[in-house]
Amino acid sequence: MFLQQMINGITLGSTYALIALGYTLIFGVLNIVNMAHGEIFMFGAFIGLILATTFNMSIFSALLGAMIAGAVLGYLMERLALRPLRRRKVSELAPLISTIGVSIFLESLALRLFGPQAQSFPSIYAAQLFEVGGLKISAVQIIILAISFGLMVALRFWLAKTRLGKSIRATAENIETANLLGVDTQKVIVLTVMLASALGGGAGVLVGLAFNAIEPTMGITMGFKGLAVLILGGLGNITGAMVGGLLLGIAEIFSVAYGVSSYRDAVAFGFIILLLFLRPQGIFGSKEQQGGR
Amino acid sequence: MEFLLNPYYMQLITFIIINAILGISIYLTLSTGQLSLGNAGFMSVGAYTSALLTLKAGVPLYAAVPLGGAAACLLAAIIGIPTTRLRGIYLAIATLGFGEVVRVIILNLKITNGALGLSSIPSMGVMLSKGIAAFGLAGGIGGISIRQLGSIAVILVLALILWFLIFFALRLSTSRLGRAFAAIKADEHAAEVSGIDTRYYKLLAFFMGAFVAGIAGGLAAHITFYIGPKDFAYHRAVEILLFAVLGGSDVVWGPIFGAVLLTVLPEVLRFATEYREMIYGAILVLMMAFRPQGLISESTLALWRAKLTRQPKIADQDGVTRRTTP
Repeated sequence: MFLQQMINGITLGSTYALIALGYTLIFGVLNIVNMAHGEIFMFGAFIGLILATTFNMSIFSALLGAMIAGAVLGYLMERLALRPLRRRKVSELAPLISTIGVSIFLESLALRLFGPQAQSFPSIYAAQLFEVGGLKISAVQIIILAISFGLMVALRFWLAKTRLGKSIRATAENIETANLLGVDTQKVIVLTVMLASALGGGAGVLVGLAFNAIEPTMGITMGFKGLAVLILGGLGNITGAMVGGLLLGIAEIFSVAYGVSSYRDAVAFGFIILLLFLRPQGIFGSKEQQGGR
Repeated sequence: MEFLLNPYYMQLITFIIINAILGISIYLTLSTGQLSLGNAGFMSVGAYTSALLTLKAGVPLYAAVPLGGAAACLLAAIIGIPTTRLRGIYLAIATLGFGEVVRVIILNLKITNGALGLSSIPSMGVMLSKGIAAFGLAGGIGGISIRQLGSIAVILVLALILWFLIFFALRLSTSRLGRAFAAIKADEHAAEVSGIDTRYYKLLAFFMGAFVAGIAGGLAAHITFYIGPKDFAYHRAVEILLFAVLGGSDVVWGPIFGAVLLTVLPEVLRFATEYREMIYGAILVLMMAFRPQGLISESTLALWRAKLTRQPKIADQDGVTRRTTP
């Protein structure tokens, strides 16, 4: 029972980690919290669903399509809502407010495009159950685990080893210095926002598979959880986002399994408030990452 | 006269005043440069506390509403004390999360009646009209019925509260406290070096915002007589934020103007109701890109003041006529 719940928790947590990675990448490079990330995630889920049901695509091409859609949305958001703010000196709360605007715009657009009712993926994957030593794992869980961990490993490797990954890290370290050293920071910023949004879109499909219910309001709920993980892991900390996501997933599954299921959505922020008292820089954050104070 | 006493207009005026009070609540926190997105959450705490106190404990209305504000303040301490030590973004996220936690708790508690919400909350209009009837005006006065008198009294009470809050905010901006707030907003480090206890003042501003939001919630509960967890969700928080973003948060008139505008416009532009949220989103993005200080800033006020006061002076100097305009 305990191990079974653990597996469920890790599956759920890996999708949270994927969402939180999007937040963390953007925060690391641009130093802003992208409040529209949850809605980009929701759009990814719907695009994936349409590709899988209307166009009868396989789940992997649907995932790819959702990631591309996410990247396109990310590009548009960067052009329309973030770049105009960078040109002039504004307070750090301005991009936060601007992305809140994008978030309610996208949510309302999704309500008009896709309707308010919850929709679900065809259940061909959920039916298959594998038994490993008394533990039940569904095909969906395996897909989710494989894809999300695959993406996370690929991202880590890409950031650490490739030239573009290095320029992203350099920009995150210090944008002016990176610019002086010949990094095209404008390009890096666009790339980061697109990459983060693509991860969000992909996570949308995975969460859609896991929960079997996709609706326009899911962006807010899941976006909040991603935010919780962002603080949990430390702002801008990539390892923190991964581990924080897993922790939150496990905590939620156990809170459901051991009694307080209706408070599930409050677990994330209960975590945060506790953490803000004990360790405000996050589990993996260093003292400096508290951000000045 | 009959036209103005239409219940629809009366209702609209009460909503405008309540939204203006909410505008003041976000202004108070923003005056230290902190963004609190928990005003909808604090509003719900105030509303539920006040409604439950009157419904279940029989506390009189005039005591229950301030108690709702106090309850909101108490909860503000739980998030405020750890987060005001940190950068502004932490407060924004923590308060947003707080709103969500409050919503989930209200949805699940038995005493708050879950998703169904609380109904038949004692009405302020009924209470006031009873009071008026006790003065021997039960039959109304000059063609105005007792019901309408009650509504007028509600508007008067709300206007009085709003007037007091505006007065308070205006006095605040020229006081020692307000100057400390402004110093923190301009540059937190510089303020701290100048000997301002930034944490104390930030916390104080946050508490004041929460208290006012709690009061607004309590008032709203006793005016609409129904509250549900959905009334205070994320969209409400965004709407309150919009008051300050559209109107501006430099001076107290900004969020009040924003609140009035955003309460009246949806009523006038009924045909665009379906696109309301989209328009709100676009407004937030556009304001941040083109006019981050909001429609009314200190310089706009100064400009208008100059325009309104200069003209007669110039005329006096000419000594010819008062009607010439430059």
